Amino acid sequence: MSPNFTLYAALLFYTAGTLIALASLFTRERRTQHAALVLMIGGFLCHTTWIGTICARTHHPPLTNLPEAAAFVAWCIFVVELALFIRYRVQAASFFVYPLVLMLLTVAAVVHEPFAQMDPALRSSLFTAHVLLSAVGVAALLTGLAFTALSYAQDRALKSKHRGPLWEWIPSLSVCRTLSYRTLAVGFSIYTLGILAGILWSYRTTAGPIDMRVKQLGGITAWILFAVLLQSYISGAYRARRTALISVGAFVAIVVAMLGIHHV
Amino acid sequence: MPLILIGVNHRTAPVAVRERMSVADAQLAATLDELKVIAPIDGVALLSTCNRVEVILSAEREDVIEAFVDWLSARGASSRSELEKHLYILRYADVARHLFRVASGLDSMVVGEPQIGGQVRTSFLAAQRSGAIDPLLHRLFEETMRVARKVRSETGIGEHAVSVPYAAVELARKIFGDLHGLQALLLGAGKMSELTAEHLAGFGLKQIFVANRAHERAEEMAARFRGMAIRFEEIDPHLATCDIVIASTAAPHYVVEAQQVERALTARRMRNLFLIDLSVPRNLDPAIAQVDGAYLYNIDDLQQVADSNRELRLQKAEQAEEIVAREVDHFRRRLLARDAVPTIVELQERLESIRTAELEKCLRRLGPVTADQRQALELLTTQIVNKILHYPILRLKESADEPQERESLRQTIRKIFGLR
Repeated sequence: MSPNFTLYAALLFYTAGTLIALASLFTRERRTQHAALVLMIGGFLCHTTWIGTICARTHHPPLTNLPEAAAFVAWCIFVVELALFIRYRVQAASFFVYPLVLMLLTVAAVVHEPFAQMDPALRSSLFTAHVLLSAVGVAALLTGLAFTALSYAQDRALKSKHRGPLWEWIPSLSVCRTLSYRTLAVGFSIYTLGILAGILWSYRTTAGPIDMRVKQLGGITAWILFAVLLQSYISGAYRARRTALISVGAFVAIVVAMLGIHHV
Repeated sequence: MPLILIGVNHRTAPVAVRERMSVADAQLAATLDELKVIAPIDGVALLSTCNRVEVILSAEREDVIEAFVDWLSARGASSRSELEKHLYILRYADVARHLFRVASGLDSMVVGEPQIGGQVRTSFLAAQRSGAIDPLLHRLFEETMRVARKVRSETGIGEHAVSVPYAAVELARKIFGDLHGLQALLLGAGKMSELTAEHLAGFGLKQIFVANRAHERAEEMAARFRGMAIRFEEIDPHLATCDIVIASTAAPHYVVEAQQVERALTARRMRNLFLIDLSVPRNLDPAIAQVDGAYLYNIDDLQQVADSNRELRLQKAEQAEEIVAREVDHFRRRLLARDAVPTIVELQERLESIRTAELEKCLRRLGPVTADQRQALELLTTQIVNKILHYPILRLKESADEPQERESLRQTIRKIFGLR
């Protein structure tokens, strides 16, 4: 059996789960949402198996190239989403998180260059810490952005007095903002550690300043935008529209940084 | 399926008729004791709410209906012909369908209202305590409560407020989630603001401040909510500390301007502020709606929320009806399969008696056998009997849908196997 069989099975489950979750926006039935969740969990199990296969075959974390990194970040996002769902029963985040997970795994399947052996020069604990912390941080930050989007959607619905299809699924503004703030704060801390580990590793390897390529520029821009976003939460200077704009910028920067991981 | 339901409700009878028939909770036990002996029945339960009075019976024969109609007629102090104009009598699966719909709030005046579920449960428990309930009614009520729970959890039919005060509560919960520990400020002491504050207070508000031009009236209202009366001049500092503002004064101008709210939100570090304007002319500057973090709703907005919730409930009711239809079908099948049980039991007993008798004869002919050999023979004959019985039992259960087919199959099996 091809080692990528579980990747395609995961994609199949995620596609079905995402489509059904989006359909539940129109049917407004909880059963549909539950069915989507079951399918996504099925996909997650296949996804986990695939990541495990990469680790077993290559003896390194699945983060040395774009498909591996995209798949690992997608996996982390789903773990964070699942944990938040179990704790807070917030179903609406799935409308953003499921397509995101699907999109990232599709990137992994389309680019299709997993199972690459790691350059021996990269086999250092600092490098492993860099990639793991960055990936987990990015996953938490993207989940935080999903909750920021929910919070914005809820704010708009309350302001305009017209309920959108998400109205029923979204929890209170207070819950959305709390979850958004917490996941962003945790993600930002981890991501910062990841960047620091990357800078240190780069300095040790090249004994020079960090090489500024698309990946690095995207990563640092995202870091600055997330810092501004967090600052607005902490200082109480939260403004719905400004927050939405910064969030979009941060999302784009993260995506650019990820697409920059063609080869480490 | 000996299930019967006799009753009147808000659709069939005016309140003047219903009020005479209704039975208070305290009288339920005594009334059930009275009902148990009216006619030969297996079980009885009584559901009495402000919208309905219904007697649910489990009885072998339908002629018991007359006695219960007479009882209802006597209780309603009306002639039988008068009562019959308002009465409905349901039988078999229609009883289950009706009860499932009632408990799910589909037959209520306000579709989806949640109290009815508790009332059905109360009536079940009362009948159970009085020993008036038989296994069939027990099963019916358990199914009814399960279906009601399923309908509510799968459709969320009762989750949306259909009155203005509840719409305000629903919106407050959409903004703040849990209302525990929040503070409210009442501007003016109008009836509607009082009612809204009362609903909000029921969700655990920490403190309610009341400001009114006539301070005595403010104190009076504050005392009702164990709140605090403040002077109108003290509004500004309270805007910064309160989370919900309800305005309902007779002032012909705005009593809170957008700039005041902006200042309050800065002081609150952008913690959200929910403002409800119940007054006409409006007391809260409409420009407040443009302020980030402030959510302003006037009486029309709240009415619109209540109206659209009503429509939403009707949409949900369609989903709920589908669930009820499926559940009624399952219940009917299970009950019909239950009708086949006596024949199945008789059949099993008949073949078992043949098996044991023949086995004994065989053992006598064989002479002494070891325990293992005897066990092997027991196993062999039991398995043969089970195999023979498998298809007749299966067919009897499967024929539950078609009464004629079921009856003819039952007769055939009884003839073939020589059952009485």
